[in-house]
Amino acid sequence: MTGGFTFPVLHNAVDIMTPLLLASLGGLLTEMAGMLNIALEGLMLLGAFFGILFSYFTGSLFWGVLLGALVTMGIALIYGAVTIFLKANVFITGLATNLMAAGLTTVLSHHILANKGVVTFPGLARPPRWTLEGLESVPVLGDLFLGHGFFTYFSWLFLGFVLVLIYATPFGFRLRGAGKNPAALRALGLHPRRYQLIAFGFSGFACALAGASLSLNIGAYVPNISSGRGWTALVILYLGNRTPLGILGAALFFALAESFSNWAQGAQAIPADFILALPYLITLAVMVGASVIKYRRSSRKKQRECGV
Amino acid sequence: MRELKRREVTANFLSLALTLGAAFFFLALLIFLLSGEPRRALQYLFIGPFSNPYYFGNWINASVPLILTGLGAAVAFQASLFNLGGEGQVYVGGLSVYLLSLVIAPGAGVFALPLLIGGAALAGAAVAGLSGFFKMRWRTDELISSFLISSALILIVDQLITGPFKDPHTNLMATPVLPRGLSLGRIFPPSSLNGSLFIALALAVLLFFYLYRTHQGYETRLCGVNREFARYGGIPVNRYFLLPLLYSGALHGLAGALAVTGTYGKVLKGFSAGMGWNGIAVALIARNHPLWVIPAALFFAFLESGAKIAMIHTDITLEVSTVAQAVVFFLITSRWIREYFLYGTGRQT
Repeated sequence: MTGGFTFPVLHNAVDIMTPLLLASLGGLLTEMAGMLNIALEGLMLLGAFFGILFSYFTGSLFWGVLLGALVTMGIALIYGAVTIFLKANVFITGLATNLMAAGLTTVLSHHILANKGVVTFPGLARPPRWTLEGLESVPVLGDLFLGHGFFTYFSWLFLGFVLVLIYATPFGFRLRGAGKNPAALRALGLHPRRYQLIAFGFSGFACALAGASLSLNIGAYVPNISSGRGWTALVILYLGNRTPLGILGAALFFALAESFSNWAQGAQAIPADFILALPYLITLAVMVGASVIKYRRSSRKKQRECGV
Repeated sequence: MRELKRREVTANFLSLALTLGAAFFFLALLIFLLSGEPRRALQYLFIGPFSNPYYFGNWINASVPLILTGLGAAVAFQASLFNLGGEGQVYVGGLSVYLLSLVIAPGAGVFALPLLIGGAALAGAAVAGLSGFFKMRWRTDELISSFLISSALILIVDQLITGPFKDPHTNLMATPVLPRGLSLGRIFPPSSLNGSLFIALALAVLLFFYLYRTHQGYETRLCGVNREFARYGGIPVNRYFLLPLLYSGALHGLAGALAVTGTYGKVLKGFSAGMGWNGIAVALIARNHPLWVIPAALFFAFLESGAKIAMIHTDITLEVSTVAQAVVFFLITSRWIREYFLYGTGRQT
């Protein structure tokens, strides 16, 4: 990035965090509605592809991102509708969405752009980075808050939006009700399945922006550009204990780990693939650790209840 | 009772037919929308695999790894466990064949090939077994842990194939070719169909007997239906978190080993891509029945082989078959469709 930042590792971490935060917030909304959304990865891929494709056709980043997000939302709604109304296994339909995303982006890339490898869009503008001149060098605060692109600031707005939506609006209560106790919702004369479907729509929108941030920031579409970030987002959702602020913390942790390993890769001669494997291994370690703690806690509780 | 059974079989059949029909419909739709020569593309796609012995043999051969990964996914599903790490287990199985060939090839004579393949199965079992162990010991979700382990391993194996074990004499991203005598015989030249077909078919029958005719198989299936009930009946349920995943991993490792010793003769970078995921689809189509895995694998391999042939002769790309496979995934578990055929209306349950 540009010079003037005190801690480049921290500044880069915020950029790395953006798609992770958006995608896991998208996953949170379906999770609240009682649906495990494992298609974050595929939805990001679709958002990345359609976002840059429409930006190229319309010549405007705004319309490109918006149209891309709408198409991705449409596919997320199909995914949701099949799951909810055709009563399919959400896990398998999620795999289907991932598979569909990988296939469809390649097929469309081949037929529309006549290339199914890396496609560059040389004329395309990059999303601008916003900063306050002179304040960039303020340690930590400057790194965290200044010099980031549109998507980063949008992801923070979206975090606030999700916080208000699920904790302070009737819609949010009903959404959570649809996940926790659909029968109660039905007793109130509401339709839990509609709330679940809307959650899938939101999820598609958030993932589309996450994906668009990836392709637009480099001005190119690379096959499999999401490269596991959707899965990382899912783990962030769990590590963050399924709360918006927990997700923020977990996403920052992952982003710092990746930013740090990028820096280490530059400094040391560690093969790239080993570094790329690190997020998966760290996630695994954290997940196994969490289950050990949970298991111990529950078995202790059982012992107490049995009076041992 | 018999009437109900018959209606259930009919409903299963009709919903499967609808799912596969929808897959073909979307495939055709996509080709008509995007291709400049849709008629020729469709013709190659559907008739291509039957058009000559070479294509036919390659189609059957492409189904071999899918039979094995399908069996692997099915044995885990039967115990209601998810093995999402198939891709990585296949890949590790393939690489271990090469690594073992460096060590044991010279002295072992006729035992060399079985040793290689057995070793690869063990390697696959170890990878999946790790998730099973975590599940057994601490109830760690095997669905996510198997996926994470596999994703990390794929990147590490990639690195090993393109780095230390890369064949320096070619530009291919692959290990050197295995020594002579360490490959399965071709049985239908000029296609790459080889002896691995018989191993896969034999394992399907073997797994059927294991699951439906042995004590352990019965306990596995009972744990899959209702683990609490199985525990109440005195079955050591903890064991059945680990055991099905060990078998599942072994079958995936075998799929990798047989693809390397039978088809490729070396470990190509990314050769396992899609084998694990498609194995899950195959198991779902077969409703986890080992013998039905065979036709399901043939169907999936047909889609892919047809698309490959159509890609050679026309302007479409291989990935159209991925879209068709995704449609199968979308609809195959739909309870609404099945209930519709069972009760006549999609009534609430």
